[in-house]
This record gives sequence, structure tokens and C-alpha cells, in this order.
Amino acid sequence: MAVASVAHSGFAGYAEEPDQLYIETRELRIQGFLLFMVSDLVLFSSFIFAYLYLRNSGQGWPAGGPKLDIALAAINSIVLFGSGATMHFALENWKHGSFVKFANWIVMTIILGAGFLSGQVMEYIHIGARWDSGIFGASFYTLTGMHGLHVFGGIIYLTVLLLQAAQGKYTFTKYTGLTLGTLYWHFVDVIWVVLFSIFYLL
Amino acid sequence: MAATAVHAGGGLADHIHPEPQGFVRKYVFSIDHKIIGIQYMITAFLFMILGGMLAELIRVQLMKASGGLMTPETYNEVYSIHGSTMVWLVIIPLLTGGFGNLIFPVQIGARDVAFPWLNMLSFWIFPVAGLMLYASFLMGAPTAGWTEYPPMSLQGQAGTSMWAAAIFLIGVSSTMTGINFLVTILKMRAPGMTYTRMPLFVWGQFVTAPLLMIATTALGAALAALFVQREFGVAFFDPARGGSPLLWQHMFWFYSHPAVYIMILPAFGMISEILPTFSRKPIFGYKMIAFSSCAIAILGFMVWAHHMFTSGLAPALQLPFMVLTMLIAIPTGVKIFSWVATLWGGVIHMTTSMMFAIGFLATFTLGGITGVFLAAVPFDLHAHGTYFIVAHLHYVLVGGSLMGILAGLFYWYPKMTGRLMNETLGKWAFWLFFIGFNGTFLPMHWLGMWGQPRRVAMYDPQFQGWNQVASWFSFVMTAALILVLINALWSMRNGKRSGHNPWNARTLEWQIPSPMPYYNFKHVPSVFAAPYDFAEPLPYRGLEEELTGAPPPVPAAH
Repeated sequence: MAVASVAHSGFAGYAEEPDQLYIETRELRIQGFLLFMVSDLVLFSSFIFAYLYLRNSGQGWPAGGPKLDIALAAINSIVLFGSGATMHFALENWKHGSFVKFANWIVMTIILGAGFLSGQVMEYIHIGARWDSGIFGASFYTLTGMHGLHVFGGIIYLTVLLLQAAQGKYTFTKYTGLTLGTLYWHFVDVIWVVLFSIFYLL
Repeated sequence: MAATAVHAGGGLADHIHPEPQGFVRKYVFSIDHKIIGIQYMITAFLFMILGGMLAELIRVQLMKASGGLMTPETYNEVYSIHGSTMVWLVIIPLLTGGFGNLIFPVQIGARDVAFPWLNMLSFWIFPVAGLMLYASFLMGAPTAGWTEYPPMSLQGQAGTSMWAAAIFLIGVSSTMTGINFLVTILKMRAPGMTYTRMPLFVWGQFVTAPLLMIATTALGAALAALFVQREFGVAFFDPARGGSPLLWQHMFWFYSHPAVYIMILPAFGMISEILPTFSRKPIFGYKMIAFSSCAIAILGFMVWAHHMFTSGLAPALQLPFMVLTMLIAIPTGVKIFSWVATLWGGVIHMTTSMMFAIGFLATFTLGGITGVFLAAVPFDLHAHGTYFIVAHLHYVLVGGSLMGILAGLFYWYPKMTGRLMNETLGKWAFWLFFIGFNGTFLPMHWLGMWGQPRRVAMYDPQFQGWNQVASWFSFVMTAALILVLINALWSMRNGKRSGHNPWNARTLEWQIPSPMPYYNFKHVPSVFAAPYDFAEPLPYRGLEEELTGAPPPVPAAH
């Protein structure tokens, strides 16, 4: 198969017969990935439960609320949601057969993701608490830290996908890996919606 | 419902990898679900020997009211690791990774699980985690039991963190297995294998897989929190710094109560295969058995706090947890009655496997009934810290899960080796096991009622008589298990050749040669009915060449 140049040469996949094996493998991989995300969600839920439990147990929670910077977090959220949109455009452009636009959008996604992480670091410095300083530190840094690691892992993941796409691992009809990457990135966004709500709005 | 073909044919169901050559790829780092299943079983049985030795240390210690064999500190380490081993390294791997891997993909007419590489990874994490658990002995093993409640687990020795890491890894392995099994059952059934035509063992795995996936991750969170609390001082469970020891109990039992069903639902599935086969009668209430498993799994997520009645749970919460817990007796009772009704009027063949299955019915029912006792808050307050709990949990885990595993071992052994296990030795083992088991754990019911506290290295001398009875019978039980082990090893070379279907069973795995060939099926069969109607011809099409010399399928060039 002439895969090496496919990515740049356009619509190589379209003339082929529908590949039953590919369709079914794709189904399996997407299903498996969705279930992986469910179990990841449970991991977050457990810590969210722990946070709500500790917060309401009435001991040691900072009186008047901890020193959170809601404006910074709001800007940061917009950055992250923006990266969700750019990731969506990246995949759509891949489906329409444009490697260059795909690459541009995915680089944009990576930049926004990195922006979000730097915003988080600023927030951590601003709060100035420590992981081991009481139950606020325990819940806030564990949950946002886990989410930050997911974003960081996602940036690496997207970089790998971009490199693989550049090397022609995916075609414009066979791109399950890219679908999974997009799913993952949206998942990380959704988790942030929940974390933002429970820490900044509650 | 139309006979929905899950696969139109020509697709994944027919996709096959080339058979690996060479010892390492074939038997060590294998991606074949059957080999992985056997690897799981061998590893789990090895850990069972270790866990069994710890159990015997406990029983020897308790021969004398003043203890004497071990210091109380060592005793705490021993029962903690005994419990952890038996739950995480023996029962769960045997039922899911072991028998699950070996049998259910064949029963749905698949060639392998959905993600064979992930399956291999799941397996190889398991022995590593097991060794880590035992390595904790070197660092000072955990001493707060298999539940490791803070604050005691926070003060425990360095091995407690090792314990948390080991169990976390086992959890990762279980989660991956759960995802793998669930996708396989959802997407890879043979044409015509609708949900209500799946064998009940598959139903057992189908209901267990989401529990593995969801509950184990919750446990992972709890263990991670315990680990960072111990190693980095993060204040989750430390009351002095605003944390809550009760939080651990919530997080732990939110996993560990569903885990109780992880340890029994696959065994229910095994029993549902074995009883109809050996009474030559369709299973009574197929749908009732399948759907009651679902009911148990769903209810299982809503009852965790019944482990915490004595921990200071708000009284307003105790009542709903008590009622929900008692509700679980209904779907479980549905199963028991269905199994008894399956036996009723059947032509019963008393093979060793069948004897274990019937033994399961007796002992599991007893364990289930004491479970309903313990669900009642007033009784639980009285019995919670006593040997009554020990009796109850061993009746469900040994009398239920392990008895099911032994029934399954005798039943499916020919599918692994092509030979039968020795029936005479097997029947001896059954009677020794049944007598030894009941002799060990039955007295614990009244010891508990009289007030002997559990997890203590010494006890009031008035209980010594019955404790000695329990210890002597525990040696009988151990002898029985050694006999099973000898039988399994001896039969590998010397057992009677079984042929492909020694029990005249009707599920798909019995329609292909023993041991099962690499590709499972030369042609993926079509399925027309559930497999339990013993009066009818087999409900499969496309199996004509399985037992002939026809060539195996050619690997796809993919």
C-alpha cells in the first residue's frame, strides 16, 4: 500500500471498497476507548466525592473559602474550551482530506493546551497552598493535578498523532487513532467543566 | 427479536492472527485468550498455596487460647496478607482472568477477545503485583486487615504503602480485563448469538465486566489517596488535619461491595452451566437467572455502607442501606430456586464437578442467609466485630466462589488438556473438602454469637475447644485442596482421554476439539437458540468441519 505519501497526496482512500475488517476494528477500538473514559471518569468521581465529603465534614475547610482566582480560572477555561473547538476543526479537516489545515488546527490545539497548563501553574502560585497543607490542598491539588496530568498527557498524545499523520499512518478514510485522540481531548474538557464548577462556583 | 447477525460475515469474526511459533510467543508472552486463561489459573493457584499457608498459620496460632506461634503483630500481618491474597490474587483472577478468558470467548463464537495485547498486559501485571504484595512482608507488612482502615493503616509499617501500590496495580489489570471482556461480549458475538441466547456463564462475565471496570477504578482512587497520605502527608484520612477516616471506608466499600459480586457472579454462571449439563435438563428460568444477575450488580452499587453500621453512620442512612441490602436476597433467591428447579426431575449424573456444584448450592445458601442476618442493623451491631462475620464471608467466598471454581475446574479441565481429571480422587477431594470446610467455619457462627472477636491473636480460654475443632477440620480442608492439586497435575499426563465432549454438553466450547485449537473455530458458527434444550438437536450451523481433518483457516494478510 502506498501509504507513505497518502497524507499529502489527497484522496487515496476513496476509491477502495468499504473495508469490513477496518469498520469492525474501528468499532471495537472506539467502544473500548469509551469504556476506558468511563473508568477514568470514575477515578475523577471518586476524588470529587472525597472533596465534597471533606468539604462538608466541617473540619479544617478554610473559613470564607480559599484564595482562588476566579477570573484567571475563567480565562483559562475559555482557553481550554477553545482548544476543544480547534481539535474538532482538526478532525473535520482531516475527514475532508486536508492535511495542512489539520496540522494547523492541531498545532493550535497543542498551543492552547500548553496555555491552559501555564494558567494552572499561575493559579497554583497565586493560591500558594501546599498539597500536604490540610484538606483543601488535598482535594484541590489532587483533582486539578490529575486533570493537569491528563492535559499534559493529551498534549503528548496529540503531538504523537500529528507526527504519525505526517508519516502517513492514517489515510483520509482510515483514521481511528485521530478519532480517539479527539474523543480524549473532549473528555479532558468535560472533566474541567465539572472541576471548575465544583471548585470555583460552588 | 429477529436473529440479528452481529457480524455480516467476512469481518472481524473471521479475522485471525497467524499462530505464533516458538515457546516464548506461544506460552509466555502469548496473546491467545486460552493460554492467558491458563496462565492466570496457574499463577492464581500458586498464590492460593501461599494464601493457604498463611491461613494454616492462623489456624495453628488459634489452637491455643494464648496463641503462642506468632506475636500479635505478626499475626496481624498474616491475616492481612491472607485476606488480600485470597481476594485479589486468587478468587478474582481465577473467576475473571482465568475461567473467563479460557471459556467465554469460545462460548460466544469468537476467535479471541477484542484486544488480545491488552489481555496479555493485564495478565503480566498480575504476578508482578502479587510479588509486590508479598514483598511487603520484607518491609513490615500491613496490619489492619485486608480492608486497611485508617487511622491504623496510616500508622502501619512501610509495607502498607507497598500493599497499596500492589493492589492498585492489580486494580489496573482488572479494569483492563473488564473493558476487554465487555467490548468482546458487546461486539464480537457470532451471528445469531443474541443476548438471550448467550450461555449463562457469558452472562456472568457480561455482568461482572462493568463491575470490574467501574468499582476497581474507585478502589484505585482510594488506594492512591492512602498512598499519598502515607508517603507525602496529604491529609485525606487524618482526622487531626481535617481529614476523615470514614472517607476511606466509603471509598473502599464503594469498590469492595461490588467486588463481592465480582467474586460470585462468574461462579453463578459456572453453576448455571454445570447443573443443567449433569441433570440433562434445560436450565429452569434462563431469563430469570440472567436478569437477576443484572439486578444484583445494580443493587450491589447501592449497599456499600452496610459494612459501616458500626462505624458511626447516621441512623437515617442505616435504614435505607439495610433495606437495599436485604433486597439483594430476592434476586439471589431467584437463582437458588431456579437451580433447585433445574435439578428437580432431572437425570442426575453425580460427577465430581456436579458434586461440587451441589455442594455450592448448600453452602452458598447458608452464607447468603447469614448475609441477610448481618444486613439487619440490630444484629450487625451485635455480631460485626466477631467471628460470625468470618463465618459468613468464608461461607460465601469458600463455600460459594471457591466451590464454584472447583466445580468449574473439574468441568472444563478437559478443554484445557484433552484429558479428564481422576473421578475417584476427585470424589475423595470433594468429601474431604465439604467436611473440612463445614467443620472449620460452622463453629465460627456460634463462636461469634458467644462473642469471640475477630482479628485478635488470642482469645478467652472458654472458646478453645471449638477453635481446636475448627483448626483440625481446616487441616482436612487443606488436604482436600492438595488432593485436587495432585489430581490436576497427575491427570495432565495420565488422565483418561476426554474426546471433544465428555459431558455431552451443548455450549459452543464443547463442539470443538480438546484442547481447543488456536483459532477456536475453523468456521465461525451461526447460532439459532440458547444452548440448554437437551431434547433438541444442537442449535448451531457451520460446525461440520470442526472435528474433521479439514485445514485450519488461513490467517488474513492484514
